[in-house]
Amino acid sequence: MVVVKRFVLQVHRKSDMSKAVVDLPPKGGFSFDLCRRNEMLISKGVHPPSFRKTGTTIVGLVFKDGVILGADTRATEGPIVCDKNCEKIHYIAPNIYCCGAGTAADTEAVTDMVSSQLQLHRYHTGRESRVITALTLLKSHLFSYQGYVSAALVLGGVDITGPHLHTIYPHGSTDTLPFATMGSGSLAAMAVFESKFREGLTREEGIELVCEAICSGIFNDLGSGSNVDVCVITKGHKEYLRNHQMPNPRTYVSSKGYTFPKGLTEVLTTKITPLKEKVEVIEGNDAMEE
Amino acid sequence: MGDSQYSFSLTTFSPSGKLVQIEYALMAVGSGQTSLGIKAANGVVIATEKKLPSILVDEASVQKIQPLTTNIGVVYSGMGPDFRVLVRKSRKQAQQYFRLYKEQIPVTQLVRETAAVMQEFTQSGGVRPFGVSLLVAGFDDDGPQLYQVDPSGSYFSWKASAMGKNVSNAKTFLEKRYTDDMELDDAVHTAILTLKEGFEGQISGKNIEIGIIGTDRNFRVLTPAEIDDYLAEVE
Repeated sequence: MVVVKRFVLQVHRKSDMSKAVVDLPPKGGFSFDLCRRNEMLISKGVHPPSFRKTGTTIVGLVFKDGVILGADTRATEGPIVCDKNCEKIHYIAPNIYCCGAGTAADTEAVTDMVSSQLQLHRYHTGRESRVITALTLLKSHLFSYQGYVSAALVLGGVDITGPHLHTIYPHGSTDTLPFATMGSGSLAAMAVFESKFREGLTREEGIELVCEAICSGIFNDLGSGSNVDVCVITKGHKEYLRNHQMPNPRTYVSSKGYTFPKGLTEVLTTKITPLKEKVEVIEGNDAMEE
Repeated sequence: MGDSQYSFSLTTFSPSGKLVQIEYALMAVGSGQTSLGIKAANGVVIATEKKLPSILVDEASVQKIQPLTTNIGVVYSGMGPDFRVLVRKSRKQAQQYFRLYKEQIPVTQLVRETAAVMQEFTQSGGVRPFGVSLLVAGFDDDGPQLYQVDPSGSYFSWKASAMGKNVSNAKTFLEKRYTDDMELDDAVHTAILTLKEGFEGQISGKNIEIGIIGTDRNFRVLTPAEIDDYLAEVE
């Protein structure tokens, strides 16, 4: 798991950080000391290693019978695509799913944690989980980490009070919307939603619109790509359509394979080093004791 | 844990080498309502009496058999409030296991961890042992399993067991009736008959509770209507 903003080389040994009173015992909660150090190092020109972000286009919309969530499947590490088919729609509860944009480790860890908490809550109450419960757990956690947990989420589900769709920002603010997009491809997807969304869409229309919005992100945003994942949640039923659309198939696979005749690679120099025998093998008569 | 003045353990050895507090805890269990469990070839059933202190008590609000995970359930004999605490702790432990290993906790592991909690309370400062014995029923990759956990923290795997008031009669009855190739339905009937043995008054779906788990690995508590159906079959 890649850790956010942790540096490999420590240029300055901790001389300037600990000017504040150090004798107090740690009170608990997140310690921001290392964040100050990181900022100081950036100002001196030392850059952190790149970490796996999910680039991403994630969307959600409310339709006649519930909510539909959609996501692309490309995960990037700087300019490199590190996962061509990752899963960005995370399970929170049987009736609640969450799309995650931002740092992949953060979205996965935070959704797993809230999913586990909701399971315990379901046992204690004997009731189906509500979307606002998931929302409140997520936003409280993100707020307490002051935006350092880089997770931007689209949370959707159907509970006893009806269908709900929310967006959650890394600093902990939330919106409640009939249609929402997040991630680097959010503008491309929002353009599609703004022109084509209307209330009371049917399931087929909703899925088509979600796919169109994600495809808009896939083709117009570098941080998004590969396939479209869709999740349809209705009262008492959910459908996780993994790779519902695959508009970027691999077309260059040669069935014959590749042959490389000898002499294709030019040999520049040849150096042969005979290995010296350093081990003396003595014919022993005593077997090693077990 | 507890005030520093009470940081000594309340559970101490007697000259004969017994832990008297645990013996007393077992007595508390022995005076609790009867509960029993039977492991069948294709599932496990656990059952208990649900005698309420008055007819005015809303019997639907009392649930003595509780799920710990989707495939593990538990019933008790003894003190209800102590049971609630253990159920909460066990559920949390099961979730923590899942968070760590992304695997559903095996029955033996959950039993072990629950037993460790119960043992802790026999060796810590300022606390008393739990006044419950648990019967844990589960179905995982090792098949159907039934475990009994005592206030001391010891646990045993049983083919069939009983706890509480009528334990000796119930166990004798189970010894006679138990067969290794029992099916889950037969086990439910046997459980009902065993409860009937020591039952005071008219047995019905409202004053007993039954929990079952089969090859579907889904632990569930039977509704009073379902219990009445089984009772009708047994008559």
